Amino acid sequence: MKKSFVLVCACFIVSCAALPALRPLDRPPACPSPFLTEKTRLIHAIEAGAGGKTRAVLIGITLADPAARTLSAAVLTPEGMALLEASFGPSGATIGRALSPFDSGELARRMMEDMALIFFAPAGEPVLRGVSAAGETVCRWRARPEGWVDVFQGRDGRIGIRRYSESGRLERTVTLAADAQSSYAAIELHASERVDYSLTMTLIESEAAASGR
Amino acid sequence: MTQAGIKKAALLLLVLFAVLPGGARADDFDRLRKEAARITTISADFVQKKTMKILSKPLVSEGKFYYTAPSSLRWEYTRPLRSVVISEGGITRRYIASGGKMIEDKSGGVQAMKIVLDEVAGWVSGRFDANPSFAAALTEGPEARITLTPTDKNMAGMIERIEITVSRRDAAIKTVRIVESRTAETLIDFQRVVINKDIHPSVFREVQ
Repeated sequence: MKKSFVLVCACFIVSCAALPALRPLDRPPACPSPFLTEKTRLIHAIEAGAGGKTRAVLIGITLADPAARTLSAAVLTPEGMALLEASFGPSGATIGRALSPFDSGELARRMMEDMALIFFAPAGEPVLRGVSAAGETVCRWRARPEGWVDVFQGRDGRIGIRRYSESGRLERTVTLAADAQSSYAAIELHASERVDYSLTMTLIESEAAASGR
Repeated sequence: MTQAGIKKAALLLLVLFAVLPGGARADDFDRLRKEAARITTISADFVQKKTMKILSKPLVSEGKFYYTAPSSLRWEYTRPLRSVVISEGGITRRYIASGGKMIEDKSGGVQAMKIVLDEVAGWVSGRFDANPSFAAALTEGPEARITLTPTDKNMAGMIERIEITVSRRDAAIKTVRIVESRTAETLIDFQRVVINKDIHPSVFREVQ
């Protein structure tokens, strides 16, 4: 029993040790909050890259409801062909239409999770607030069902999001535009997976969406 | 059945043949083919309106279309995103805008666009009933309306039908409506159509 307890403690320490350390401040900083506060429809041009090259240019439509934490999304070719229609909610992603390269389902699910990471504030209260080694103001949340989410603001004022695995491996880095009008005017997402990929999103238009639509 | 009853039934059948798309005969398509054969080049602007459940209003795209018989095509979107597909001599290339310049798309999307462009080239030359993947029906009216319904089960859930209207005046395509589902469709409206005016061959070779 004692051995198991020590093992659990050791695992916990190792897993937390991989997360970047935050230096607590006497007065905890206010958390940066670029996230949507009302139901919004956004249309972005998306450049999807892998291996340092642009692989596809797409149109992404997102209808996100932060109160219900649900979103619907469609991905179209520049010619208007819908490659993906999917929704995301507390129970996960539901794929409607999925053509190549989304037909495997895995890429579609990951894309929906990425959109949720970008547009929705992490649930609950931050577990830690402080300053990173790079001097960023950081608030850290426990992610659901597992892992960690940091929302940070750099010295240059730019806001970003980092998602870590349970063991502290960096899985996603999102950098948002330093645009006073909309943080979502330009979004850059880098994913560290078996095959790394990036999404560069440029806002075409956005509008508040009426409830129920 | 009385004489009057037979007369009524015959009249009803005549009306049905005149109205139902299925009433179109092979020689109607032959006539369209002959009219379209007079077209050697087309250049046009187009406005595309994409309707989807997720959108509150259609997503509007604009572009330019060029055709030289028998099968050279340029299908160019200028907004909201620039993309160019050019097809000549059986070779199709697709370019996408990235980082302020046009780069060639080497993904499988090119093959999909080749299939679409081959189909469009067939329509422009009046061959609406040539593809066995679609059942073609023609409705006569102020404009000829061709309805293409997929016969291939693989298309189920992707395209319900395609409706094409053709100008009576010059046999040029006026609109293409692609009905994907009850809540999703794409309407392409061709404007400022210019027929049989020389198009420089570089239009089909260079992205520019």
